[in-house]
Amino acid sequence: MSKPTPDVYEQGKGMDAHNQVMREIRSRKEASYDPHEPTRVWLDEDNTPGGVKTSLTIILNTGGCRWARAGGCTMCGYVAESVDGGSVSHEALMDQIDVCLAHEAENADEPADLIKIYTSGSFLDEREVGAETRKAIGETFADRERIVLESLPDFVDREKIADFAGHGIDTDIAIGLETATDRVRHDCVNKYFDFADFEDACAEAAAADAEAGDVADAGIKAYLLMKPPFLTESEAVADMISSIERCADVSGCHTVSMNPCNVQRYTMVDELYFNDGYRPPWLWSVAHVLEETADVDAIVVSDPVGHGSDRGPHNCTECDDLVQKAIKDFDLRQDPSVFEQVSCECELTWDTVMERERSFNQPLTR
Amino acid sequence: MTDYFEVHERDGAARVGELRLESPVTTPALVDDVLEDAGSLWSADRTVPEGDESTLTVLPHRAFPGGTAAEVQDSFAVDSPDVDYPSVAVVSSESATDQGTDAYAVSDVQSITGHGAALVEAVVNVREAIPADTALYFSGVATPRNVAVLAYAGVDLFDETAAVVKGTEGRYLTTDEAYFLEDLEELPCSCPACQQPREEFTREDCAEHNANALQAELAIVRRRIRDGRLRDYVEGQARQDQWLTAAMRELDSQWGYLEERTPILRDAQINAATSDTIRRVEIQRYADRVTSRYRNRFKNPLVLVPCSAAKPYSESQSHRQFHDAIQWRGHLVSMTSPIGVVPQELETTYPAQHYDTVVTGRWSEEEKRFVSDVLQRYLERNDYPEIIAHVPDEGYRDIVGRVEDELGLDVTYTVPEGGHPTGEQSLANLSSALSGQLKYSKREREHNTVRAIADFLLGDGAGDDLFADMQTTSRYPKIQVRDEEDTQLATMVPQYGTLSFTLEGAKRWVDSDVPTKRVEIDGFVPHGSVLAPGIVDADEEIRVGDEVVVEGPKAFGIGRAEMFGREMRESTRGIAAEIRHVEEK
Repeated sequence: MSKPTPDVYEQGKGMDAHNQVMREIRSRKEASYDPHEPTRVWLDEDNTPGGVKTSLTIILNTGGCRWARAGGCTMCGYVAESVDGGSVSHEALMDQIDVCLAHEAENADEPADLIKIYTSGSFLDEREVGAETRKAIGETFADRERIVLESLPDFVDREKIADFAGHGIDTDIAIGLETATDRVRHDCVNKYFDFADFEDACAEAAAADAEAGDVADAGIKAYLLMKPPFLTESEAVADMISSIERCADVSGCHTVSMNPCNVQRYTMVDELYFNDGYRPPWLWSVAHVLEETADVDAIVVSDPVGHGSDRGPHNCTECDDLVQKAIKDFDLRQDPSVFEQVSCECELTWDTVMERERSFNQPLTR
Repeated sequence: MTDYFEVHERDGAARVGELRLESPVTTPALVDDVLEDAGSLWSADRTVPEGDESTLTVLPHRAFPGGTAAEVQDSFAVDSPDVDYPSVAVVSSESATDQGTDAYAVSDVQSITGHGAALVEAVVNVREAIPADTALYFSGVATPRNVAVLAYAGVDLFDETAAVVKGTEGRYLTTDEAYFLEDLEELPCSCPACQQPREEFTREDCAEHNANALQAELAIVRRRIRDGRLRDYVEGQARQDQWLTAAMRELDSQWGYLEERTPILRDAQINAATSDTIRRVEIQRYADRVTSRYRNRFKNPLVLVPCSAAKPYSESQSHRQFHDAIQWRGHLVSMTSPIGVVPQELETTYPAQHYDTVVTGRWSEEEKRFVSDVLQRYLERNDYPEIIAHVPDEGYRDIVGRVEDELGLDVTYTVPEGGHPTGEQSLANLSSALSGQLKYSKREREHNTVRAIADFLLGDGAGDDLFADMQTTSRYPKIQVRDEEDTQLATMVPQYGTLSFTLEGAKRWVDSDVPTKRVEIDGFVPHGSVLAPGIVDADEEIRVGDEVVVEGPKAFGIGRAEMFGREMRESTRGIAAEIRHVEEK
């Protein structure tokens, strides 16, 4: 496994350029955030290997993604939502957890079975969340069924997973793989690890799973990004289909969350979008990929953010809500026949875009 | 090397060309059927395809859409492989470079169409970066409404993609609009796709109609280019969408780009029917040359007269009447919108006898300003013992009055208020204003005409430099220019008011101080046409239609340019010049 420091990622001309540009774009953002408040927290429902569960999603403010400070991913604006500069103390992080628990107590009838913690970075990176904090959070949620923790593959190891699985919590590590295609991950997303690193992380999770025995399960949830910048609609769709198939084939990876790109402020994608050089994917593309990969050996879900808006995945506006509903239904039931029940005149346009869009004429539609 | 594209006809920046595939394609055209895309390097590594001569292959590329930062364009730039089949390189309008391919597809095309200034900046950038004899390809943007302006700007290749996509969205495209199909009670077209009941007409049919309409418009564009009349069409067509009008006007401000590509003469008429005509290169160039190159050589008073509908003016009824009154005692200069001022010696010179204007007698402020500016510059450069304005009230008199005030002149007006220049009183006034003036001779008239044309064509002072001593034979306007020994030097070409040189004339030009428009060729003796591959160097100043000296180690010749200078140097195919006379060295 490669070394988990952003510095060693600093290789190659393309990456230097992406980073330089992203740093400039991000520097335009001036807001700063209170380290005692989480970035965001909400309640939802999720499909897990143990069935559909109520979930508490926490975006923990850990000082933000180290990679993003070097420049970072071309589509990611979350870094702008982290505290300036340094890291966040143990006490502040635990204050954030308290705020989330209070939110849950106020808005839910009973504690959520599923806890999901994202950091806009790596929860398992000790420079973001120290061992003390990690263990304390493991204890805090010891009574829950399942926890999802976001991390880059480099930081995934069986001991850290044991801090949670040891309490009997089924533990999933959410890895922002974005795509199984290294070339696309490097050149379009500007994320610098390889599919092989993801496979290694899956192997660590599988080992942790074996060590936990019957007490708890451990596994990997792969997050994929549909349509990073520079890809056409059909390239993006093909990239997702092959990525889902390849992820599902890796033992230890039980869930794939395939998410259409949305246009976030202070990102390279936003610059392209502003200059008519980028359109988020069609919801038909999302539906098509889910339909095509329905038979893979993994749960495949998608949570289109900002659906129906110009900056989010969208069709013609007429059918956006309907298709989004079908996608959410598929997330919970994994039954592709739901897509047979939605249709719209704009499918003809989507077909045409799939057939005719080239990287030298994209985007063909708004 | 451009092996598979050749430009056959030029009309400003627009060209009729030929994609030299197994089945040749005449451009501007749609290339859907002949295009093969080797694919994007963003999504996968690609091998260079086998390719063949029946298709136009887009080489593996990393396209940069609009908004891609310069650093990213720099670091991800790919060099196109050298292939021996018809090929296209994908370039960004911001970082285009010569890739040695036959055609260039512009990657940020969606960002530049829809904005006049952005389109023009992009086309000019790319065109200046790639060889002149390569094709420019805009994918995914052509519609029946915009394609004439895109071709006018210098784009050669298109596809039906945008038209088809819009059809699937229920937009019915015509040259004037993008109608919502659902709003159309009847289909305003008679193409095959539209030959069915309205209620059975689907979005697929709409897509087919859109592609048909685009094909038809392109056929008109090709016809117009061949006729040298695309600009006249575009002045009308651009009105169908604001950004298209903006694009046309922005292009008019790209003087360098457009002037270089505009011929100095044409068979075609200029239709002066809009306020944009005044900014055409042909009009501006004429005004510029008349006020910076031409010089009046007559000692007689200036007589300013209105233009006439018939061309050349001297053959019109009104000008015959003026002539009867003037009797070669005054130097006749016609005032006209949109040309400015036309001295009698240059009345046949393109476009002075090649335009037709809308006659209402109403002058716009812009026309008045243009003509008075030209007249002022003209009078600042040329001294007359006396100025007689034989012009009617509307517009003309106003203009002369402005210049008279501006320069502190004393002008004699010979048309009574409310009177007509051909009125009896007016003509009598004109005649008496010139009483006592001596007539100039036919010889002086013809010599001055030859020298004026030489000034206009070759530069300030060229007339005196080249033709200080000469004799003229034959009848105006087919004047023959000879030296003292009776050797012919040049002939006046009445259709365009230009001079065509003989070898002796060409030698005189080369030996003079007048800058020679020179084409340097390899060691061969050209007969008929000089093709681009034979050209070693060519003068920057050469424009299509110019007289050019063609010289190499083995030959000395004179002919007419069929390409502009840079195009001659950069092209690997096509006719660069037509030789008139040549001798072996």
